[in-house]
Amino acid sequence: MRRRNFLALGSAGMALAGTKKRPHVELDASCGCSFEPQAAAPENGPAGIQAFSNVQSGLKITGMKVFGVSLTPNSDRPYVFVKLETNQGLIGWGEGTLEGKAAAVIACINDFKDFLIGADPMQVEHIWQSMYVHSFYRAGPVMGSAISGIDQALWDIRGKALGMPVYQLLGGPFDTRGVRGYYHVDGATREQLIQIRQTAKEQGITCVKSGIPGYYEWIERRPKIDRAIQAIQLLRESLGPDIDIAVDFHAKTSPSVASIIVKEVEPLNLLFVEEPCPPENVQAMAKIARRSTTPIATGERLIASYGCRELIEMGVIDILQTDINHTGGITGLWKVAATANVSSISMAPHACEGPIGGLATIHVDAAMPNFVVQEICGQVKPNAADKVWEEWFGFPAMRMVDGRFPLAEKPGLGFELSEASLAKFPFGGTRPMARVFHDDGSVAEW
Amino acid sequence: MNHAAIRRRARLWTTLAPQAAAAVKPAALDITNIRHFPVREPVSGNRYSLLKITTRSGLVGWGECKHDPNADFGPVQSGWVGKQANAYATVPPSTPFRAALDIAMLDILGKAANAPVYRVLGGPTRNKVRAYSSPWSQEFPVAVIDVPMPAWRNQGKAYQNKVVELANAVPTDRDFVLAGNGLLTPGDAASVARTAESKHPLWFDEPCPHSNIDAVKKVADETVVPLGFGDGIDDPGLFQGLLREGLIDIARPDIGIFGISGARRVAALAETYYVAVAPRHSGGPVGTAAAIHLAASIPNFFIQHVPLSMEEGDRAMRKEIVSPAIETNSGGFLELTKSPGLGITVNEAALEKYHAA
Repeated sequence: MRRRNFLALGSAGMALAGTKKRPHVELDASCGCSFEPQAAAPENGPAGIQAFSNVQSGLKITGMKVFGVSLTPNSDRPYVFVKLETNQGLIGWGEGTLEGKAAAVIACINDFKDFLIGADPMQVEHIWQSMYVHSFYRAGPVMGSAISGIDQALWDIRGKALGMPVYQLLGGPFDTRGVRGYYHVDGATREQLIQIRQTAKEQGITCVKSGIPGYYEWIERRPKIDRAIQAIQLLRESLGPDIDIAVDFHAKTSPSVASIIVKEVEPLNLLFVEEPCPPENVQAMAKIARRSTTPIATGERLIASYGCRELIEMGVIDILQTDINHTGGITGLWKVAATANVSSISMAPHACEGPIGGLATIHVDAAMPNFVVQEICGQVKPNAADKVWEEWFGFPAMRMVDGRFPLAEKPGLGFELSEASLAKFPFGGTRPMARVFHDDGSVAEW
Repeated sequence: MNHAAIRRRARLWTTLAPQAAAAVKPAALDITNIRHFPVREPVSGNRYSLLKITTRSGLVGWGECKHDPNADFGPVQSGWVGKQANAYATVPPSTPFRAALDIAMLDILGKAANAPVYRVLGGPTRNKVRAYSSPWSQEFPVAVIDVPMPAWRNQGKAYQNKVVELANAVPTDRDFVLAGNGLLTPGDAASVARTAESKHPLWFDEPCPHSNIDAVKKVADETVVPLGFGDGIDDPGLFQGLLREGLIDIARPDIGIFGISGARRVAALAETYYVAVAPRHSGGPVGTAAAIHLAASIPNFFIQHVPLSMEEGDRAMRKEIVSPAIETNSGGFLELTKSPGLGITVNEAALEKYHAA
């Protein structure tokens, strides 16, 4: 019952913190690096906390650990997990995995140590603002991922402290059966797709996603364009009319090339086309959208609602896909969804990293009025990562039941995770993501 | 731009210009002589201007620009002798022979640095340069289809079908560029583009005049055929306007107008819109060499036009004035040069032979 009594202890807890020397805090970067913040948190907790001395919850962050977790020694996306410990024994887990930049995020999370040790984890909005605003430079993907990991861990603690799953704190669920998801079917042959169609029917899966083959220059030759169109046609032919199909262009195409392909596949009634061009230029994305009725989705690389504002305001896209591990955690994703909803833009959040972000995103999804479908980069048939995740959590995390990801029942993010189970997968260091090139040696997008 | 902004920027310019002029000169690279070689291809009569810059240290740089009957070489000679041959960025955009000065100065800079121009500019970004030539050329795997001159404005279905027939005649393993040559109205261009759309032309070049950007919108809004513009454009602001409105898919700065560094700046602009670059080129082999270095210096290059004449006499002349034979097709591509500067040798005696007064 400890977690339900902490509010009553609030003033006593504060008094203690004011007089007693703060316990020595272990910071385990687990990265072989020693990038620790050199300015230690002040004795009385992080800057600005005195203003809240009368309204502290009594719960205090006493420790932070950061874990780099490589499922395979050469993984280009070691999971970056954050564990926050509190004075009342409640712990919170979050994820800030950033593909290809693991060590940078680990270092950045450590940079936020002074914002956290001694802070009241219930003040998630206040802490988020402080991390974002007081970083001065605002967030790019590294800082966005660091904030995301910390934010998820704070919400995990908040839910546990208040005794309810996070989606309830956010006002959900809209659907008690869970949130709709999709699996990936990249590279499947016609025979495999027909098999997937059968399995999907049996398992209640209503949606899948695939990519387009090869790499594209910003103007393309006929054979490449024809191949892309044929690959998309094959999906509809093999999967039939009843399964929703999303196609991820993965920003491999320019607006010029994407416009041609999107126009040709218009009769196939795709659920959406994703990232038909790179994410930096909203006007360029508009060029594709203005000549197509196929819904356009993008946003997995955008940070915070600020990063999505122009896309939303201009009404360029139909679906936003911000990622809970990059955009700013639960706080960030919820705000993006709320902002998008004002412009009738739907949400299909991306979460293709580890399982903590995956489990966290379900909570936000369940509380979005404009939710469409959740991505998790699993396949119809469970893979090696799915097995590890099940070992870690004791349940098949991020596997759908009847086409939906089930909602958590336990408080917080709704899972237990032991450090010992992560120790089997030591941090293999940062590995670059795939680097691909065109025939003439020039840089290609994948 | 409003008047206040124009005045603000003019005021800045008056402080910046003297600073640029006051730069310290490394004397060895001072320009001691500039020569102008106007040349003409013997059969086609195509003309272009070559410049030869010599430095105090004896380095020689070659550049090329479009033939401009109104351009006076005298002020170029008097204005640039004594200036630094390596300071290519200080050539003002309005200078006559600007492209040739730019290319020749980069040639010298490369030679001074003992590196090909593309290496000086941060490349190579690719190891070969995709190329195509003119409608009559069969050597490169990209065909050019000139849309027929319309008999009257606002052409009907029969005219569109004629264009489709031409497109259908291209074997499916070959790509083609639809060249409008700025002859069509926006309405006709949009109809032609829509009709040819499913044939996936590489792009529709100069589908209509670009003088009125809002008129170009009609074409871009009605079709997804990539549009290419650049003919006669000497102001990067025009490219910016087309890019901002999403009306251009392949930016075509003319190498004979912009030179290497001017075209590179247009490429940088286009890059932020994910727009590819295919420089225009209507001159000679020195311009082709410059284009090769540009292509290997930018990330968003797509293809280079090589304006080979259909006449053997003209082709022989191009090979005679510049060696090695850089305009040779190698599987649809041109090869990069490897020696310092532009990596070419210009045969001055041959230039006299093809001199055009």
